[in-house]
Amino acid sequence: MKAIIAGILVTLMLALVFSLPALAQETGTITITMTGANEISISLDKTQWPLGNVASDTEYETVPAIEWCTLTVGGNCNVNTFITGADAAWVSSPTEYKWTLSSDGSNGEDIYGIWFRISGDTTRGPMSDGYVPVTKTESEFWPYSGGSGSSLAPGDHKQFGLRLLTPTYFISGRQMQTQITISAAAA
Amino acid sequence: MLRHVALAGISAVFLVMLLPFFALADDINIGVVPAEIRIDNLSPGETAKFELTIHNNDAISRSFTLAVSVPPEGQEKTGATQFPDGSWISFSPDRTEVVPYGEANVTVMVAIPREQKWTSQDWETWLGVTAESTDMLGVRLYTRLLVSTNSTVAQRFNVRLLVGIGLPALLLGCGGFYYFRRRARFN
Repeated sequence: MKAIIAGILVTLMLALVFSLPALAQETGTITITMTGANEISISLDKTQWPLGNVASDTEYETVPAIEWCTLTVGGNCNVNTFITGADAAWVSSPTEYKWTLSSDGSNGEDIYGIWFRISGDTTRGPMSDGYVPVTKTESEFWPYSGGSGSSLAPGDHKQFGLRLLTPTYFISGRQMQTQITISAAAA
Repeated sequence: MLRHVALAGISAVFLVMLLPFFALADDINIGVVPAEIRIDNLSPGETAKFELTIHNNDAISRSFTLAVSVPPEGQEKTGATQFPDGSWISFSPDRTEVVPYGEANVTVMVAIPREQKWTSQDWETWLGVTAESTDMLGVRLYTRLLVSTNSTVAQRFNVRLLVGIGLPALLLGCGGFYYFRRRARFN
């Protein structure tokens, strides 16, 4: 009888010896690696453009026009940068009244346009004058398709300015606010 | 005592004078680590977990929101296709506040559904970290996430574990059965 009990205990111990490693291997091997340089960072030296009162169907440019804001690359990896815009909303009641951002820089009734121009870029854009419409779709800021520029390296900087084209008609006396987002991804 | 009151008063005056300079910071400087992350051998049915670190290099506190984003057309790495479903990626937390010159960690979890059709895939998606702001210019940084899935689906049950526990249980049962039957015969 003792031999039987001892046999059962040995069998049980052997089973545990094999089952524990099996439990440990349940999740398999997943490899997670950080590839290349590991910090992405950018800075802008200006984020506000208070315009005051504006008239309808009028263009306004930042001062200075194309060296208004400086984008600087930090971190330790090269980056490609992008730009996207949004509708302008009435500050007091954002859901009640807005100006729609046009998809081509043009304007209309409660429709406005925003353009950007990078310093040194004189032929880019639909008018070949360096100005490019900002749209609600994220699009290339720098470098861009068809251009000769390359990704920005840490320490590089780009200066740019903005141009606003106000709607042909809008309700006056309302403070409007919009946001343009500059984004960056590792090149 | 009077000296202490006077010192406290002077300190308060300086504090009031300094606060507007910090609150009206007209620039932004942020960073994210890593800029790119690769997950290899992730079996459908498994979950991978890693951390993003957000750096606030400014003198004011900033709130950041995290979201999955589809890379702009043509920006994916060679050979990678679009990540099928952004809901497979979660952030904990998906919004965080970072103190001046501070950093915060966010845990990212990637869980691929247990389906055969998701085996042997190479995907890319971008994890967007946006600095919340009411200023006209905002900044968003992307971490590239590259995921390659295993050629097999993760097992729902661990067969080795079941055999490891089931077999000794069976042996134990048989042993007990014969032992008690034999003892009954002798009695």
